[in-house]
Amino acid sequence: MKSQNQAHLNEEQILRAVIDEKDLSGEDRQHLLDCQPCKSKVALFKDELQELGDDARVSVPPLTKNISLPGDEATAVSYKSRWLPSFGVAAMAGLVLFFYVLGLETMSPKFIALQSPEDLLEDEYLMEDILEMVENPLSGSMYEITGVNGGFDEEFLQFVVPDVQDDFQSKLIIQGGIKQC
Amino acid sequence: METEENNMVLKIAALAEKARDGNRMSFQELVSMFQEDIHRLVYYRTYSQMDAEDITQEVFVQAYRKLKNLNDTERFRSWLYSIAVNRCNDFLRKRKFLSLLQFRSVQEQEFMDAGKGMNNDYNEPIAKKRFWEQVRSLLDKLSVMEREVFTLRFMDQQSINEIAAILDKSESTVKTHLYRALNKVRKDSRFFQEYRESMS
Repeated sequence: MKSQNQAHLNEEQILRAVIDEKDLSGEDRQHLLDCQPCKSKVALFKDELQELGDDARVSVPPLTKNISLPGDEATAVSYKSRWLPSFGVAAMAGLVLFFYVLGLETMSPKFIALQSPEDLLEDEYLMEDILEMVENPLSGSMYEITGVNGGFDEEFLQFVVPDVQDDFQSKLIIQGGIKQC
Repeated sequence: METEENNMVLKIAALAEKARDGNRMSFQELVSMFQEDIHRLVYYRTYSQMDAEDITQEVFVQAYRKLKNLNDTERFRSWLYSIAVNRCNDFLRKRKFLSLLQFRSVQEQEFMDAGKGMNNDYNEPIAKKRFWEQVRSLLDKLSVMEREVFTLRFMDQQSINEIAAILDKSESTVKTHLYRALNKVRKDSRFFQEYRESMS
């Protein structure tokens, strides 16, 4: 008769039993059914593996994102693509219409007819005055004071601002005089 | 129990069929049913809430676009999971590539990316942070395939049959990778301390 230790499943058989008991031979499977120590070893390893799986399961942080499918994006895009260009076209059309109407109002004969012939004549006089003032900014009496029309005589002018040539000659004479000394 | 599960599969298949025919509400219902599971699946692989949320969004958008290619609507669940797993792998590959370009190690890059997550920093309780560090150190011992089957089986809590469908592998291949994974992790993780003590 075999001793109980010899009959026990070895470690390889225990591991095979953990993976799938059906992989054991008929005799070994029968032994596993009958032998409490072997059964508890297999159960212990299975439990520890199960515990590892359970711990892993609870240690994973929860999923925080919602899963979105391609259709969801397409819907969002189509929503935008439907409204944004429409809005742009409407805005552009509004602006074009606004400027068109504004242009018509400015150029319309009604707008021009609002000005009477008297007003036009007055405008013409005003423009003449402006042009005259541009050409002659000062009155006759003021011009006399300024001397623009030749109010100063030549001698006075020569005194105040001597000619460059005269000044140069006088310098030479002075220099020559010094040398002579 | 099995009948309940079968009813669920049929309900999902019916919704998937309606969604495939263009019924948005049915797809929205499927999103509500699976969004938490997919978000968790992504988080187990990225450890970043922000990335997990973005990738979850992408998974459902891709599923919505490709739904007409799904012939067997009863396989909707594993089909959706396979999209999520592939998305995660793409993301992790990209992250690894970026780390190469920026001369940073993958761990540094992951740390920086994870820092972008809202709950990965100071807001996250220390216990949770420590838990994820231990999970990462546990999974780092495994090869890519071992890690994938281990995560799907014990963290995403999928059956062997479902894992085989998600990864497009045979059940025996899945079991082989799972066996190797268990053989590695049992040795020195605090998660399996009691089991180790029972074996000694």
